Amino acid sequence: MSTVTPDAAPRGVRTLDVSSTPKVPFSRTVRVELRKMVDTRAGFWLLLVSGLLLLAITAIVMVVVLANDIGITANGWVQVMTVPLSLLLPIFAILSVTAEWSQRTGLVSFTLEPHRLKIIGAKLAAVVLLVIGTMVLAAALGAVANVVYGGLSGNEVTWNVDGSEFFWTVVSQLLYFLMAFGLAMLILSTPASIAVFYVVSLLLPFMVYGPVYALVSWGPDVLPWIDLNYAMAPLLGGGGAGPGVPALEVTGTTYAQLAVATLIWVVLPMVLGGRRVARAEIK
Amino acid sequence: MITVDHLTKSYGGFTAVDDVSFTAQAGRVTGFLGPNGAGKTTTMRVMTGLTPPTGGSVTIGGHRYRDIPNPGRHVGVLLDASAQHAGRTGREVLTLGARTMGLPSSRVDEMLELVSLDDKEAKRRIKNYSLGMRQRLGIAHALLGDPEVLILDEPANGLDPAGIRWMRGLLKSYADRGGAVLLSSHLLHEVEQIADEMILIGRGRIVAQGNKAQLLAAQGDGGTLVQASDNDLLGKALAAAGHEVAVAGAGLRVGAPPAVVGQVALEAQVALVDLRATEGRGLEDLFLELTADTQREAVPAGAATTQGGPR
Repeated sequence: MSTVTPDAAPRGVRTLDVSSTPKVPFSRTVRVELRKMVDTRAGFWLLLVSGLLLLAITAIVMVVVLANDIGITANGWVQVMTVPLSLLLPIFAILSVTAEWSQRTGLVSFTLEPHRLKIIGAKLAAVVLLVIGTMVLAAALGAVANVVYGGLSGNEVTWNVDGSEFFWTVVSQLLYFLMAFGLAMLILSTPASIAVFYVVSLLLPFMVYGPVYALVSWGPDVLPWIDLNYAMAPLLGGGGAGPGVPALEVTGTTYAQLAVATLIWVVLPMVLGGRRVARAEIK
Repeated sequence: MITVDHLTKSYGGFTAVDDVSFTAQAGRVTGFLGPNGAGKTTTMRVMTGLTPPTGGSVTIGGHRYRDIPNPGRHVGVLLDASAQHAGRTGREVLTLGARTMGLPSSRVDEMLELVSLDDKEAKRRIKNYSLGMRQRLGIAHALLGDPEVLILDEPANGLDPAGIRWMRGLLKSYADRGGAVLLSSHLLHEVEQIADEMILIGRGRIVAQGNKAQLLAAQGDGGTLVQASDNDLLGKALAAAGHEVAVAGAGLRVGAPPAVVGQVALEAQVALVDLRATEGRGLEDLFLELTADTQREAVPAGAATTQGGPR
């Protein structure tokens, strides 16, 4: 408060009694943010398309596996299921942030809650809940598919999901969601954020890093430090770097590489983006 | 209720708001008037914590905006009616607000009824709304939390004449119940009928403030528009009495108050058809004059006084 000069208090100026008004609890902000993710046409269709894609892929894989008499196990199903999830759902994380700017709803959101990082925190919580929810759904669907496969093929049903591998699958999904979220805060534009996210998470690893990894001598030494895909490959039971690459061993270096890649693509965008959101002028 | 204290906001070399101080009191409607780009919106954004000020401060009821818990329950804000997600329905927008503020969903129905958005309209998506409907929705949103203070940026924009009259009544009764209303406009006639107090801003600076009478007194107008059965005769009589007379429309513009003009007419034995003070015109002249150097279009000096009569 600045010093109040005697003539600075004209008649009729009253104070606002806010002592009996509680702050908006965080859980309420999270519920509102969850609702905002699915109450628009974009959100609704994105969720529906993701769900349909999940079902379609299950059906396609089922047909292919049965027709060609290839064996598939629970672990295989989990790997199949994560593809559509990691493909489409990060857009939720991006839209949840950028819509406040592109649709200018920030004018309302940030006047109803002037503590912007609280809203960001609520969005983050909503996104994490979404990841966990969809993973549970995917796992359930995978289990059903596995049982159906057993019934249709007459083969023995194999429940071979590796606990640690499943854990790292969830972690990798989460990291990609957080990366999308951080980039969105940093860029604050829907199309640009989506483009950058897919270039970094999909295009670069497959189009550029793949050949580099296979053909350039320093590839395998450098790439796992700067790319999440390569950093996580050993933890996800790969080999994920492409055909013909021998299974990778998890060592202490693996965790260090994951930490560095996470720092670059998740922590850094989150911190810089968070600062930007907290200070930006909302127009 | 709202106290703006030496507020300054500059962007690089450009000063959008320049040392602005005023108050908006409880129980009154305060009009915030100025041409486009005068700094009204920037001032209001600083008020609600969306824009950090370069200098000075704003308090609402003694608090900085960000220190007000659950601010929607105390301060109703409408900064831009078009700033809503095009894909949400009107009802959904209000529901999100009600959920955030912790209000029952019955409050949403009450507000929809208050601003006359019917069930079908409330279920439509905002992208299919006219600007007038968006304004109504925005006003409903601002009033959701039953606040003590209203901050509205150009709320009459896009409303039809009936809508403007409706809003005028709404804000008037809101202020009569003790609420403080600050509303901005670039149109004088929108504001002069409801505002108890007016703040005129041009190029980031306050150029005048006060109620209508004070603003006019400061200008020192006090002229009269008169029409008589015989204008020539009255004109001569007035000129003989030493008053400035000019032809204005079907009557005369006189540089003397109505009482004096009436007295002269009586003595000259001329029947009067119309007699009134030049108030309305005076305020508009004042507004244009005070903000003239900030207008994009040049206002020809004196054009308003020689052409046509008052409304």
